[in-house]
Amino acid sequence: MKGFFKQSPQHKDKQEGDICHVLKGMPIFQQLTRRELTAVARILHERVYQPEEIIFRENEPGMGMYIIESGNVIILSEAAKMQLSELNAGGFFGEMSLLDAAPRSATAKARTECRIFGFFQPDLFGLIERNPQLGIKIVLGLSRLICERLRQTNQRAYEFNEALQQMKQSQK
Amino acid sequence: MLSLKDRSTQKMLFLLIGAALLIILMFIGQVAKMVIVAALLAYILDPLVTRMEARGISRTAAASILLLTLITLTIVGLMIMVPTIRDQVSSMSSGSQSVKTEQALMRLQEVVRTKLAWLGYGDVDLKAKLAEFKITLSQKFVDFIVSDFIELIITLVTIPFLMFFLIKDGIALKKTLISVVPNRFFEFSLDLIYKMDQQLGNYLRGQFIDAVSFGTLATISLGIMGVPYFFIIGPFAGLANLIPYVGPFAGGLPAAIAAVMETGDISRAGHVVLLFVVLKMIDDFAIQPIAVSTSVHIHPGLVLVTCLIGGHLFGVIGMLLAVPVTGFCKVVITESAQTLKQYRFT
Repeated sequence: MKGFFKQSPQHKDKQEGDICHVLKGMPIFQQLTRRELTAVARILHERVYQPEEIIFRENEPGMGMYIIESGNVIILSEAAKMQLSELNAGGFFGEMSLLDAAPRSATAKARTECRIFGFFQPDLFGLIERNPQLGIKIVLGLSRLICERLRQTNQRAYEFNEALQQMKQSQK
Repeated sequence: MLSLKDRSTQKMLFLLIGAALLIILMFIGQVAKMVIVAALLAYILDPLVTRMEARGISRTAAASILLLTLITLTIVGLMIMVPTIRDQVSSMSSGSQSVKTEQALMRLQEVVRTKLAWLGYGDVDLKAKLAEFKITLSQKFVDFIVSDFIELIITLVTIPFLMFFLIKDGIALKKTLISVVPNRFFEFSLDLIYKMDQQLGNYLRGQFIDAVSFGTLATISLGIMGVPYFFIIGPFAGLANLIPYVGPFAGGLPAAIAAVMETGDISRAGHVVLLFVVLKMIDDFAIQPIAVSTSVHIHPGLVLVTCLIGGHLFGVIGMLLAVPVTGFCKVVITESAQTLKQYRFT
């Protein structure tokens, strides 16, 4: 119930400073000023997860992204029954859900005790309405990240294709 | 096994929430009324503050501008309306009628005395009865204003300030409420609150625009037609219009009676009825399609029942609040059920 009681201004400032420090290290928020980072920090939701606790499940509606402040998170594919990756402090996941409402493509689970900040689509939309300039900066940052991922995926697809062609030629 | 996906369970839950709200409202009556009105106003006016914020004004400054505007409008409105309402109430209590009205009354009295004598109306004095009714009505109105004056002032002062804080700290308040939700239900709650926020916002703003538009049109038209008490009947018609089917009658009937009583000319009632038919058509074909979201459909019978309960508990304000409160409950239940289907809670 601690959320019902107002935090002291010093505690609030320290907490916002911690969040800003984490945000500054992320590619999405790199272009933001200190003031803008504080505005983003104010709409983030702080959550604490215990080891083995599910953060979100595969196929459930995706509401937004999570940023790890401390602890380790594993990303699992329930369909393939395998671990896809492990993320630690400063890492983030679920960022695609900030742009579309597609179901989650994997399950996220806390491996150790984690302190995580949630940044969700409704809050991003609210921010865009209230502060369009800041909203555009964030969406641009997100687009850059997705472009980079797409470029990497294209590169990998090209490499796989090349390897496939070589295999076909060697078989002949 | 009970499941929210089941329609009968949804209905049962709807009734249970309704009953719980009713009990809570009975206990905290006056405070609840003020909080509900302030919350509704905050919901309706929040987009204005958001637009001001988008133009670079801080949320606190934008909410303060809105508060000052609302207070100014209330004061100006009272300064314009109070003398008109006072004149209309005093004319009501003076019991003055035109010669034509008296003649019409005498004719009606004659009919009642001759045809309904067997019912015990052989010596009925309609003129005296009407004068008595009008004095009682105006006296009740004056009593309400005098006895509830302090309460009225407190309400008029408290509601805008409550609204100010709800708008200014609304985002933080929502975040605080979500922070107490367990991790497993966190995204579900966020999803639910967002969907409810959108649906309710559209619904309430639509209802507000509809009531204000209908009330303004009715007041102006009745004023042009020279119908007495138009300053009281017009806004009442606007608010009553929120109640389906019965609303237009509730607004039109007093206007028709007032028009006939003033002139004694029965055809005036026909003019008023025609006016309300035209107004309702404008409302149905022009105002409602633009203003009112169709996403929240509430059965008219349910609206009527909740209006009666609201009226019984809190008077006229309760009747009017019953419509948005029913809409709120409907959105909570349907959205909860729909969102729950998308999550796997085990």
